[in-house]
Amino acid sequence: MTIPPALSLPTMPTAPAPTSTRFLAACGGAFLLLFLACLAVAEAPLESVMGLVQKIFYFHVPCAWLLMLSTFVCAGGSIAYLFRGSERGDRIALSAAELGVLFGMCVLVSGPLWAKAAWGVYWQWEARLTSSLLLWLMLVAYVLARRYGGPSARQLAAALALFAAVDIPLVYFSVRFFRSIHPQTTVVSTLGPGMRSAFWLSLLSFTVLWFVLMSLRLAVENAQARIVELEVLLDQAEEKKS
Amino acid sequence: MTMVALAYGFIWLAVFGYVFTVGRRLGRLNDELDDLRRRMDRVKT
Repeated sequence: MTIPPALSLPTMPTAPAPTSTRFLAACGGAFLLLFLACLAVAEAPLESVMGLVQKIFYFHVPCAWLLMLSTFVCAGGSIAYLFRGSERGDRIALSAAELGVLFGMCVLVSGPLWAKAAWGVYWQWEARLTSSLLLWLMLVAYVLARRYGGPSARQLAAALALFAAVDIPLVYFSVRFFRSIHPQTTVVSTLGPGMRSAFWLSLLSFTVLWFVLMSLRLAVENAQARIVELEVLLDQAEEKKS
Repeated sequence: MTMVALAYGFIWLAVFGYVFTVGRRLGRLNDELDDLRRRMDRVKT
């Protein structure tokens, strides 16, 4: 049986990219950096007012930064999908949205634990906390729409990602424009030398981890798309054969 | 101390949990690839 040129079978991918040695090395490097960040956080001096509980800050803020980065990337991919029909943009958006849900969850759990010790309550319905919760819920809605909404939900989810991106300035500037008990955005510049190095190392290691996780998730998404393409071609070839 | 341990523990657990779920998806993709390989062999012969 000769397969017609239009249905000639493409080369089979040997294995999805994430299993490669390079990826495993990147993953190991990211976790090593995180481990070093943990050591730096442990060595950082205690804050005079809050004491030990202030150390939540070193992981809480990088998670919040990654929530915003994920939302930006998700919105960028969604714009490429909505206005240029880019499938790759759509896959990037979905991968970033998942990471946004992950790091948003970390922010919304670590923040209230810190708040309980610092403010005496887990939650306050004030601008920073409420807008952050709203941002996270929009990303959750994006992921749920993509998972259970079928192919027609892709455009709806992309539009949702744009709304989520609009919420980012509100989250960031809310502590300036509204009365808020949340620390100001200028808090990093007030840190002592030992605290500052631990914070920047933590931020760097979380950002590296984000890039590693993003490349892993994106590679899975790309492999999935390639498999779907191959299945369609194989179905056509099998029909021709029979 | 409890709050700090809870916060750090949760973040580590969430990150490792996510890596684990992506790893499982990767495993499923490999199964699909094996299936495709078998189908491709059948079509070629």
